[in-house]
Amino acid sequence: MGSYQQSVSRSDPGCVVILLDRSDSMKLLWANTGATLAEGAALAVNNILLDMCIKATTEVNAPVRPYFDVGVFSYGARLSTPGEGVESAFGGGLAGRGLVPLPELAENPITVRAEPSIDLMSVTAKMPVWVDPVHGYRTPMCEAIALVGAHVFDWAGAHPNSFPPIVINITDGMVTDSPHEGATLIEWVKRLTSVATNDGPTLFFNVFLSPAEAAEIVFPAHPGGLPPPGPDLFALSSELPPAMIENARVDGFDVQPRARGLAFNVGRSTLLKVLQVGTRVPDRPS
Amino acid sequence: MIHTQMVIYYSAKHGNDESEWEDGGACFPGDPVTGRGTRLAVADGATQGFGSARWAQQLVAGFVGADRDAGVEPPALSARGLHGWFETMQTRWHQDPRLAGANALQKLKHKEVGSFATFLGCELSDLDGPGPRWNAVALGDTVLFQVRNNNLIAQFPAIAAKDFGFNPDGVPTRPEALAGMLERLLVGGGDLVDGDVLYVATDALAQWMVETDQRDRGSLWTVLAGLDHPDAFRTLVADRRRSGELKNDDVTLLRAWAVTTRPAHLVVCL
Repeated sequence: MGSYQQSVSRSDPGCVVILLDRSDSMKLLWANTGATLAEGAALAVNNILLDMCIKATTEVNAPVRPYFDVGVFSYGARLSTPGEGVESAFGGGLAGRGLVPLPELAENPITVRAEPSIDLMSVTAKMPVWVDPVHGYRTPMCEAIALVGAHVFDWAGAHPNSFPPIVINITDGMVTDSPHEGATLIEWVKRLTSVATNDGPTLFFNVFLSPAEAAEIVFPAHPGGLPPPGPDLFALSSELPPAMIENARVDGFDVQPRARGLAFNVGRSTLLKVLQVGTRVPDRPS
Repeated sequence: MIHTQMVIYYSAKHGNDESEWEDGGACFPGDPVTGRGTRLAVADGATQGFGSARWAQQLVAGFVGADRDAGVEPPALSARGLHGWFETMQTRWHQDPRLAGANALQKLKHKEVGSFATFLGCELSDLDGPGPRWNAVALGDTVLFQVRNNNLIAQFPAIAAKDFGFNPDGVPTRPEALAGMLERLLVGGGDLVDGDVLYVATDALAQWMVETDQRDRGSLWTVLAGLDHPDAFRTLVADRRRSGELKNDDVTLLRAWAVTTRPAHLVVCL
């Protein structure tokens, strides 16, 4: 366990990576939203990317501050070359890119279009879109974690004093490629979370989406009561650092000490709140 | 008669450019011709806000009267006077002509988030009379320290070291938030004698000063009184950050020395 106290700055930026499940089951409708899991997840990801850009927007006639490097990687259906696999989920001018500095992200959405409200209100608002909803094929999660691990390894080497990378996996299903290259999913996650900066090891959080109406379980401190694959995801998920526990409490979540970065059966608006808690690195020291 | 020798030191958060410093500090030495009193002010703009440096710097400049040429009078130190002045400051901030060049993200953040700044404004009065004193108003955890003979004799607001960072008070740019915040405005004051030193510091530095005063007060006030160049201040800040005593945040220190003698030398830092 690291200290997880480094605040973000121009010289010590943070790193946020989102892993997005684009498997076939993401075509299912998400509870009562009238939209698919893929559409809801893409909406939440675009919302959190916009949120990060807004936070780093500080003045007129000044670019978004480079306080984060951001990546979104998908697993399941590929867009670049049709078939199953892992790729950068960015489109447009960022297609194929791995980690992108926040100012560049802000300048390069695929498009700006009317999108539904994340909280199911019957309103739409124009917003930038970086990731489109896609679904198909199986769930090569190990391969995705392996690819992301390579990116965060390079990033941590270049930013030894930064807050460690934060990797958030959004999925609705079971891994289909474990073992991958001789290592199981747990072993790939161990490799990923062994990548560290001086401030601590990489954080790996999981969000499980369910098409059915079910009780939301957010940031549990123990695996008891979690339906499959909850206990497995609990074991894979990092403990929330103290600052994030405080953030979660401020946002209204009942979070116990040693809570894990896991959210289970969440709805769309909760998904966004979870992403907000998981990506909120200290802007000043605690 | 008491004169004041004032200086403002600042340092941006380690890792950021100096241009990203989001505090503000200003002082006015007083004018016997117009009768305007000596004023000093320090503000700390919210990191998560939009235009926070502009907001903090507008507040301190307006308080000491630097905007008089633009037709904005500095406020009286009364709740009513401050209320009207803060409203004027909000209007000016929202009508800043530079906003015409804002892009969509900037317009969105200006409208939805705005800014916020802790604020401490102080006026020195009766400096040529029988009862020289300082009077101050504060919202948030920017703090004034009064030091006499190397001893801290007043701290305003009186915030314990453990309580810094949890104070939500400050001056908002959102008009609807102003009235509620003004109910939390603190007012303080004290007598002033020859040789007194007033320091006004933003939160990270103020917290360090409170902690250090408790364990090494003689050294603390000697060191701060001896600062004679911006580089000396930046070195002090960098050293304390490296040692872990000082949190990595924008820092500002305003020092006002009350003396009855005129300075022997005028030093200009280039």
